[in-house]
Amino acid sequence: MLDVDGLRKTYSGRGREVEAVRDLTFRLGEGELACLVGPSGCGKTTLLKCVSGLMRPTAGTVALDGRPVTGPPPDMAVVFQEYGRSLFPWLTVRGNVELPLKEKRLPKARRRELVDGALEAVGLAHAGARHPWELSGGMQQRVAIARAIAYEPRVLLMDEPFAAVDAQTRADLEDLIRGLWKRFSMTVLFVTHDIDEAVYLGQRVIVLSASPTVVQDDVRVDLPDERDQLTTRSAPRFAELRAQVYREIQTAKNGGGPSGADGAGTGGAEADGAADPDDPEADKGTGGADGPERTPTTTGGPR
Amino acid sequence: MSAEADATATARKGAASALRVLGLPAVLIALWWWAAASSGSFFLTDPGTIAATFAEVWISERFLTDVLPSVGLLLTGYALAAVLGIGVGVPLGMSTRLRAAAEPVLEFLRAVPPPVLVPLLMLLVGLDTSMRAAVVVSGCVWPVLLNTVEGVRAVDPVLADTCRVYGIRGRRRLGVLVLRSASPQIAAGLRQALSIAIILMVISEMFASSSGLGYAVVQFQRSFAIPEMWSGIVLLGLLGVALSAVFARAERHALAWHRGLRAASRGE
Ligand SMILES: Nc1ncnc2c1ncn2[C@@H]1O[C@H](COP(=O)(O)OP(=O)(O)O)[C@@H](O)[C@H]1O
Ligand SMILES: [Mg+2]
Repeated sequence: MLDVDGLRKTYSGRGREVEAVRDLTFRLGEGELACLVGPSGCGKTTLLKCVSGLMRPTAGTVALDGRPVTGPPPDMAVVFQEYGRSLFPWLTVRGNVELPLKEKRLPKARRRELVDGALEAVGLAHAGARHPWELSGGMQQRVAIARAIAYEPRVLLMDEPFAAVDAQTRADLEDLIRGLWKRFSMTVLFVTHDIDEAVYLGQRVIVLSASPTVVQDDVRVDLPDERDQLTTRSAPRFAELRAQVYREIQTAKNGGGPSGADGAGTGGAEADGAADPDDPEADKGTGGADGPERTPTTTGGPR
Repeated sequence: MSAEADATATARKGAASALRVLGLPAVLIALWWWAAASSGSFFLTDPGTIAATFAEVWISERFLTDVLPSVGLLLTGYALAAVLGIGVGVPLGMSTRLRAAAEPVLEFLRAVPPPVLVPLLMLLVGLDTSMRAAVVVSGCVWPVLLNTVEGVRAVDPVLADTCRVYGIRGRRRLGVLVLRSASPQIAAGLRQALSIAIILMVISEMFASSSGLGYAVVQFQRSFAIPEMWSGIVLLGLLGVALSAVFARAERHALAWHRGLRAASRGE
């Protein structure tokens, strides 16, 4: 249903070219839950922006149900990495969750039902009347998630959505996402840099290499469908998968070639542009002035 | 007993803040009084006389013939400037290309001091209210326009992306994203425009009117009705204070979120 083919994105600005993503090809089936892991700065956010139609790839295509994505498709929701900045500070929590539903022209009663359900699901039923800036980072992140699930999307993209929540809430939200995914049979692409989380959540873990970014490996998670924070995480198979993904990421970081299926285009002879392959912690966009491509990827939170 | 203590404490606090607010004006009025008395100048009227004249002059039919038309002119010009400034500022803020095309012209027009437009507009529009309103608009529109452009340009790209993803466009996008996120800057422009509006109202009436506050002050001055002239100046000052108080209240209400957000990010 979601086809990413030969995706390449080069940021250019001020005479400097940054190759964020070199060549990505993968495919998500209808109703699949895939996790995308990769080191910081390897282009996960860039990929998500191209998939959601917010940004044009330099080369390659993204297609949803066979139709090329040129702008945000109508039934797709995105939880941005900068969750704090993605909430409207002049609207209440309820207002934020309800806004996309108004645009969908849902009747009032239905909107109320969806908003209540979504806030309940993320444990924020009591906070509906408050403003985003009155909430902690973790709560803001949950508002952004509530907004996405209230929208009832067919495709849900999430960019490190649990980065700011505490461990307990994180576990709850992981189970929530799996629950919702099963209930609404959405297609979910979940970006994280947490290997455990990727293995626990996904049916599949797509491992990205460090820059120049290609698909390093595509691991099928053959854990039982019913997952549980205690038993799943202590299962021997979980540990094996975790170790496998971990090794792939290490190989990728050390500049090893891809071992997975999609090994196209690690053209060694090509000059490496001005990308910073040895800058894994720099999770910052080197954004230009005010073009639409400005995507600082510092972790969100209230400004 | 503690309730009583509380009451005295509150009373003391109230008295202290009253002293803070009224202390300096009281000192200044006393100084003025002393200066008027000791100089004996015909042109420096003491505050007591001004106060008495004030009631006499303005609580009369003059209120209808001079004060109300002036306030009406002020508010009309100000409202027109606000609508025009925001209406033109929003598209300019949203489009780089429009901005590039309009910038030189805007810079020039902004540099022309609005009072010099009075003689020109007298010829073009004539001596009526619409000419005076045009003078007020021509000065007030710039701070609103330029602040609107800056505010609209500064819309957070993550919020803009959020709107795109959830299909929020057109009128709703304008209302929920563009105008709201530019509103603190627009308010700053409107605040600047308010004081400009008062100045231009007075100037336009001084030059080109047969009624209104500016006209009245000039008339009093020409006929050596000095206490009356002073009372007109005081009235203009009070008008300015009242308008900015109303403005501050409206702003407090409309931008409560902005103060909260700023306080929250300072607390981090
Ligand atoms: N707007 C931009 N302009 C220039 N370079 C950018 C921009 N956005 C991201 N980058 C660069 O592209 C690379 C990938 O960034 P990103 O997609 O945010 O990675 P991730 O989400 O995996 O941390 C980084 O090297 C980053 O500095
Ligand atoms: Mg990122």
